[in-house]
Amino acid sequence: MALTDVLFYLLAAMTGICALAVVVTQNIVRAAAWLLFTLAGVSGLFFLLGADFVGATQLLVYVGGTLVLVVFGVMLTAQSPFVNMRISAAEWGIALAVGLVLYGVLAASFLISNPKGVGDAQLGREEMADSILLGQALLGQWQASPQGTMSGLPADIHLRNRLAVSYLLPFEIVSVHLLVVLIGAAYLARAKRRRLAGPASLPVDGTDVSPPVDGQEQPLGAQT
Amino acid sequence: MMELLELFGEHPGWYFVAATLVPLLSFVLILLASAMWCALRPFRGTPVCDALFNLFGGEERGRTPAYVATGAIALAFVLSLIGFIRFTAQQSQFETQIEQSQRTLHDLRTRAAAAQGKDKDELQEQIEAEEKKLENKEKMWESARSYAWQGHFDWLRIRPAGLSDPDRGTALQLGFKIDSLSALMFVMVTFVASLIHLFSIGYMSEELQPEVEDHQVHTRYGHLVRRGRFGRFFMFLSLFCFSMLNLVLADNLFQVFLSWELVGICSYLLIGFYFERQSASNAANKAFIVNRIGDAGFILGLLILWTNLGTFHFDEIFHRLRAPLTDSHGGLQLAGRFVRGDLDPAGAADGRQSLKYSPNGAQVVLFPLPQDRAEHYHGVGPDRDDRVDVFDSPKKDQHGAMPYWLLVAAGLGIFLGCVGKSAQFPLHVWLPDAMEGPTPVSALIHAATMVAAGVYLVGRCYPLFAYEALLVIAYTGGITLFVAATIAIVMTDIKKVLAYSTVSQLGYMMLALGVGGWVAGLFHLLTHAFFKALLFLCSGSVIYGCHHEQDMLKMGGLYPKMKITALTMLIGVLAIAGIPLFTGWYSKDAILAQALGFVYVHPQHLFLFLLPLGTAGITAFYMSRLWLMTFTGKPRDEHVYEQAHEAPWTMTVPLIVLAVCSVCIAWGWPVYDAEASWLEHNVHHAQHHAVLADFGNIDYTVSKDHGEYWVVAKKAEENERLYAYYNHHLAGNLALGLVLIGIVFAGLIYWKRILDPAEAVEQFPGLHAFLMDKWRFDWLYSVVVVRPALVVGSWLAWFDLRVIDGIIHGVAYLSVLLSKWDGLFDNSIIDGLVNLVGNATYAAGARLRNVQTGFLRSYVVFLVVAAVGIFMVLAYFVRMAAAG
Amino acid sequence: MNLAVGLHHFLLLGALLFVCGAVCMATKRNAIGILMGVELVLNAATINFVAFARYNPIFQVEGQIFALFVIVLAAAEAAIALAIVLNFYNNHLTVDVDTAEELKG
Repeated sequence: MALTDVLFYLLAAMTGICALAVVVTQNIVRAAAWLLFTLAGVSGLFFLLGADFVGATQLLVYVGGTLVLVVFGVMLTAQSPFVNMRISAAEWGIALAVGLVLYGVLAASFLISNPKGVGDAQLGREEMADSILLGQALLGQWQASPQGTMSGLPADIHLRNRLAVSYLLPFEIVSVHLLVVLIGAAYLARAKRRRLAGPASLPVDGTDVSPPVDGQEQPLGAQT
Repeated sequence: MMELLELFGEHPGWYFVAATLVPLLSFVLILLASAMWCALRPFRGTPVCDALFNLFGGEERGRTPAYVATGAIALAFVLSLIGFIRFTAQQSQFETQIEQSQRTLHDLRTRAAAAQGKDKDELQEQIEAEEKKLENKEKMWESARSYAWQGHFDWLRIRPAGLSDPDRGTALQLGFKIDSLSALMFVMVTFVASLIHLFSIGYMSEELQPEVEDHQVHTRYGHLVRRGRFGRFFMFLSLFCFSMLNLVLADNLFQVFLSWELVGICSYLLIGFYFERQSASNAANKAFIVNRIGDAGFILGLLILWTNLGTFHFDEIFHRLRAPLTDSHGGLQLAGRFVRGDLDPAGAADGRQSLKYSPNGAQVVLFPLPQDRAEHYHGVGPDRDDRVDVFDSPKKDQHGAMPYWLLVAAGLGIFLGCVGKSAQFPLHVWLPDAMEGPTPVSALIHAATMVAAGVYLVGRCYPLFAYEALLVIAYTGGITLFVAATIAIVMTDIKKVLAYSTVSQLGYMMLALGVGGWVAGLFHLLTHAFFKALLFLCSGSVIYGCHHEQDMLKMGGLYPKMKITALTMLIGVLAIAGIPLFTGWYSKDAILAQALGFVYVHPQHLFLFLLPLGTAGITAFYMSRLWLMTFTGKPRDEHVYEQAHEAPWTMTVPLIVLAVCSVCIAWGWPVYDAEASWLEHNVHHAQHHAVLADFGNIDYTVSKDHGEYWVVAKKAEENERLYAYYNHHLAGNLALGLVLIGIVFAGLIYWKRILDPAEAVEQFPGLHAFLMDKWRFDWLYSVVVVRPALVVGSWLAWFDLRVIDGIIHGVAYLSVLLSKWDGLFDNSIIDGLVNLVGNATYAAGARLRNVQTGFLRSYVVFLVVAAVGIFMVLAYFVRMAAAG
Repeated sequence: MNLAVGLHHFLLLGALLFVCGAVCMATKRNAIGILMGVELVLNAATINFVAFARYNPIFQVEGQIFALFVIVLAAAEAAIALAIVLNFYNNHLTVDVDTAEELKG
């Protein structure tokens, strides 16, 4: 049992347990903390697999960005009565049963179906694509993506045409998408007047909707 | 503009075409203006529309339509006159040369007959040279005529499918053909029509008012009050003039038929001008329906001709039916006649049969057209080959044959059309009733033009009438003229008397045509148009002056009140009676002479002379009676007498002009010579040689006595024309004697009052009643035609009501029953099924809506469950695939 | 099943994370809790991608690239989701998703 295996079991255990904890805990702040560890464990697994760049991205974006965002969300919506956010035991039971069945199905599919050729040829750790190769692939250099099977291109297409396609276009799309999403998120989450809940609440925009006192209605545009 | 002038210069026939189209233009103008007026009237509130509305007449329509129509017909008259003068000039130039040539030829022949030996040969050569010259002259005149005075274009061409050749197939053509007859007719019709238009401006002036009270129509609220119809009247007049002129212009039967029907509808519209009056609308219907009977015959005749000859063109029909004048070996014995024969069954071969000449054969030979037949051509007949190959469907250069009885039937069919239009014996009943129309209409339609159309057509189609058909024509005319004249004696309505006299005079024309007096009949047509129009307009003037009183029993002594009318009417009366030097004298004498000539040759048809001779006296009697009752004696009705007055100048001027024409239109030099009338000579130029072939001798030998080239027999062979020629004065003097007797008789009764007409009535009450009932024709038709038709109609109505309606009701009841069952089925089963599906869906939806909890969490659970399910199903199939 | 780590182990871990995420989504009434479940599901997918990149030469580059895309999209999704949650909070004064049941059938 090599060191990497031990590390894997450690990291896997940490990740799995923390993920379970996220599910089980009722305190949203704690859940956020458990999630932090889960994500960190996942990034550790990436390092372990040799995907340094992905692991680093995971740490930076998820642990550093997304999670902070989540925590901010928690803080912004924090309220005292968390108690009534619980759900019934029956629902717990159903969710758990369904989860177990799903896990059983997934695990069985890996273990029983025995897919041929998958996992047989293990790459060396040093053979994993480094950040340079990934960068070239994202920039559309065909050498960086020698098989190109998942880019949707046939394998025997003329080489020169690959330059233009590969992952450059998805990369650009994702970039623009991200930009749009951020702008959209900023627009959605902008500060607005709160509307108070309940039927007896007054209109908050300050307009006076009470009827005219003398009951005399002015014709439209007569005052201008 | 220059091109138009050139057209009229080179083809002066276009003068007549233009004269025809001008009234049509006037009709269209008036119609459009009226249409615009009607369209603008609702919008006259707005300034623009009001201006336009006033432009098209405004509330007070004014006399503009009358001026347009009168101007148009006057222009047509001027154009026809120019055309007529040009035609006559050209014709007389050629005719003089031909006549000169014939005279020389005659001299040479006479000398050759007397000469001996060498001189004879010399003279023979000269004769041949002169004959050649004559032939050339005639050919030149022929070609000049067809170039300048004829033309046509295809109106509708029916081609067999797939043929693009423009000359193949059969064509309906529109065209014009001018000869001296149509030229004269043009001048006559446009002239009379112009005067009648002028007269109408005065006569119809009541219609100018926006509101006209019709005293003859009684409604619940008193007399009918309606809008004036001045414009409409002149619009119809214009259309009528166009139709009539087009009829005269036509060079084919089809165009004649078109115009024929147009004339019919115009007559219908004008007779029914006061259509609110029951009598007027009945009269219009009667005229139209009676004319339909005639037109049915006309169509039948057209169909027969079309089927057998394949053409409607007059010249082509005549060339086909009548033997040619000459062939390559000189004149034919049967020239210009029908050649009859029998089909020889032995000689039949692919598409052709052999026909053997026989004088009373069952078939008539159809000859090839002269411009298409072979260079060397043999005629058929006793002096030529007595056999000829006839083709089943002959081309233009081939002989054909048609059954003789069909030819007779075609002639009778066309004549039946003319009987209807010209109000001849069996179908004459509509004309007196047609006097319900305004008096100018009576003058125009029922005296001068429309009824003339029938006579004109018989004259035009003369060469296609077989001997039997001509005899029918003659007898029809003879019976008509006598019947109508006897009725006219007892009529007291001034217009009815004139109507019956018209019928009678038309009978004279038909009789003349039937007995070979082609020239005489059409000559009478022309003269009659003038004096009958005069008489009608005079009666119109009297009616106008007496405030629409038409009954002569209420008139009398009107002479001092309306001198111009009385004098002009006297001229008309003398003209129609046939007093020497008046127009009627020339034409009526010609007819009587021809009838006498006919009776000489065919003594068994004695009545064909006695009837017109006797009727000449009757005519003089009733016309004198008419004039004397109206203008002399004591006033019978003080009220009418006091109100009577002379008509305005627009009405008297036409009277005077027509009176002058009635006196001198037929004069020639010397005036006292009944045969020297220039009008008659002019008509004579248009005579088809078939008339001579049938009733004379077709020979151009000139009579030395008269210097005319009309027919005198070379051989002293018996023929009608010869006898007519020699007995002209006998017939004329007999008639004149009877006329004088008639006039004196009338004078004794109605002027001197020596005899009392009431006594005569008491003496013969039965005869008087019979005549008053117009020979009981209306009763006869009612018994023979109308009532049986009504009875059959009531039977049919019963059948319709009981049987047909019963079946329909039964079917309807069954359908309703079926529908009920169907409805039940529809409601319970079909709708039940649909509702079942709907309900099931609804119930399922109601159940399933519980799944839609709205809770995000439960959706996630469903999602996962579904994913698991799909996964397991897929796995199952994958394993199945792997196993199998 | 040997203890030497292979593709299976990673896939099993990914499955565990996936199931945890799903159950998390199914059991949390807090909208942010649900968002966390989504993050778990996405991480499960990322693990699978990277594991395939390692254990299958065909996906040597693709695996990692797709993992990167997933991470980026997850970030975007988180941003949007949080914005929506904030709006939701603004309207309902709570982040309890059970109060948002307007879509109930």
